[in-house]
Amino acid sequence: MSRDSAAPEVRIRDLTVVYNTPAGELPAVSHVSLTLTPGTITGVVGESGSGKSTLALSLLNAVQPPGRIAEGSVEIDGLGDVLRLDGEDLRRTRGRKVGYVFQAAQNSLNPLKTIGKQLLDLGRSHDVEDLRALVADAKALLSRMGLDGARVLDSHQHELSGGMRQRVGIMLALVLNAQVVVLDEPTTALDMITQATILRIIREVHEERALTTLVITHDVGAVAEVADDLAVMYGGRVVEHGPIAEVLGAPRHPYTQGLIRAIPRLSGDISLARALPGRPPTLGTLPAAGCVFRERCEKRMEICETVEPATATYDGRSVACHAAGRPAPVKRREYA
Amino acid sequence: MITGTAITKTFKQRGNVLGKREVPALRGVDFAIKKGGAVSFIGESGCGKTTLGRIIAGLETYDSGEIVIDDVAMSGLSHRHRQPYFRRIQLIHQDPYSALNPTRTIHQTLEAPLRLRARQTGRPRSWVDARAEELLSLVGIDPGYVLPRYPHQLSGGMRQRVVIARALTMDPEVLVADEAVSMIDVSLRLGILGLLRDLRERLGVSVLFITHDIATARYIGDEGELYVIYRGQVVERGSTETIIADPVHPYTQSLLSAIPVLHGLERPGAEQVVPTEALDEAQADEGCLFTRRCPFSTARCEAERPVLGHDGGEGGEDTEQLHACFHPRSRSVIPQGVRA
Repeated sequence: MSRDSAAPEVRIRDLTVVYNTPAGELPAVSHVSLTLTPGTITGVVGESGSGKSTLALSLLNAVQPPGRIAEGSVEIDGLGDVLRLDGEDLRRTRGRKVGYVFQAAQNSLNPLKTIGKQLLDLGRSHDVEDLRALVADAKALLSRMGLDGARVLDSHQHELSGGMRQRVGIMLALVLNAQVVVLDEPTTALDMITQATILRIIREVHEERALTTLVITHDVGAVAEVADDLAVMYGGRVVEHGPIAEVLGAPRHPYTQGLIRAIPRLSGDISLARALPGRPPTLGTLPAAGCVFRERCEKRMEICETVEPATATYDGRSVACHAAGRPAPVKRREYA
Repeated sequence: MITGTAITKTFKQRGNVLGKREVPALRGVDFAIKKGGAVSFIGESGCGKTTLGRIIAGLETYDSGEIVIDDVAMSGLSHRHRQPYFRRIQLIHQDPYSALNPTRTIHQTLEAPLRLRARQTGRPRSWVDARAEELLSLVGIDPGYVLPRYPHQLSGGMRQRVVIARALTMDPEVLVADEAVSMIDVSLRLGILGLLRDLRERLGVSVLFITHDIATARYIGDEGELYVIYRGQVVERGSTETIIADPVHPYTQSLLSAIPVLHGLERPGAEQVVPTEALDEAQADEGCLFTRRCPFSTARCEAERPVLGHDGGEGGEDTEQLHACFHPRSRSVIPQGVRA
């Protein structure tokens, strides 16, 4: 784990993002506080409707209407509160300071322009004076990721495979030397072997460039391999956050426990695996008071109906659950 | 029982300036699906697994080879006479969001095929509604809640169950599930896999499970059989448990090596196999199809194409599973559980 002092810390504090719906403003992200330690990869895992993508967009202050950041702050070392930036300052920040690899990078490239042209557009829009150096940097990054840089820059997106486009997305996010990088579902729709390659590249580039990285995904497996820390989101809340081996090995929150039990795996006893009952909440079905997970929770108590659990710290990780104080972690033996 | 022998299929791509290109999707594939059995096709996108599934479901033609359903060869039948056979094989779509007509309630969605079924089997109209409720209960959803609703009012998991119920209206003997859980939330995937297992046990339906995620193939019940497909050829075939625990083909080993390790619960396998090149860079058609990417490739692999067999290769022992490799060797590639 590299903890380079050059990598910035990211502090999300009390962030609430609401969406305007016919039923009024509903929170997709509710009072989330999360610190990304400099030089680490944090994985954010959640199902559909957990608010993970909205959280990621908040790092760029890029939540679009009908969404609105209602309160909170996102402080990045050397930048201040991103949520207070606007206009030109905000535009310059995106790309230069915070790189973003979009979900399905496959589809976020311009089909009419070569990759090289899009790179030059990016450089010009950020007033890069030495475009030759920018192209050289891009080529170096691409060859670092195992591609023929010159060939890729001369290609249109349809000439590249899914794994190659994903690497182009990573290159475009890093070429302006951003130090905070957000990857939204970086391996969705990729085959297993390509996924493994991309994950290895993310880890290596992260370490070489001393980045602070956030990986958003619905697939625990996709982050388990690369992340240092894991944050588990449910119904717009971070319900558990800590070092990955701790969170996966001895989960404290009943949702984390259930999620891990529900992952199809190559090893372990099939008969112990089971799906979580019920289904993930949507904006409209989120309970207004109490714990958002209680409907699916096997440890549900009376207090869960009315009081939203506060986040507390247990052996180095934060958990938001009324029942977490009583240690009843999933027995490790189950997975042996 | 459905068997296929030497099925081939070549797609002809529309010409560009360089002329037409022929892409072999299947290069002589044999398969057998037993009654109540579970067969899984595993491979990367473009390997031909979906094409094979569609051929088996009667939705795609094949160039040569023979499919035999319950001792009747399909090649001897006209299109019209084949239909009753292929009706016994129903496809479950990957995407439950686009597989259902958004303008129809679930009741309407199930009613149409059930009416047809009632006519075919001489049952009264009243049977249709009762059967719709029965099928929805069978797939584990509340008929009273679901029947009057439209697809957009249901979650992905529920929609997938409705899609399965619709497939069951035809009383199929085989369900072809193509990536049936890849678009379902992780916490609900095991529910769908468990349902497929239940249907095997309770109705004796066979399941043909097509996926790129080998781990899910373990969860559709006992006595599963696994086919690892690479560029249109079956390269390893045997019981699901054997192949996962003890794969001998380097391609199977690289697929299994690529599965992420859940740190804290697992440690990586001792011998990881990583392909030497990416798929798109290495389309050799001489010799073994995997030779350009294989870390263990030899001169023989470049000259000759291995066929599926139990042969242990030079100095090796014969294997339990079938494989298409000159140098089969078992390697421990899968993550091992961490003991407390």
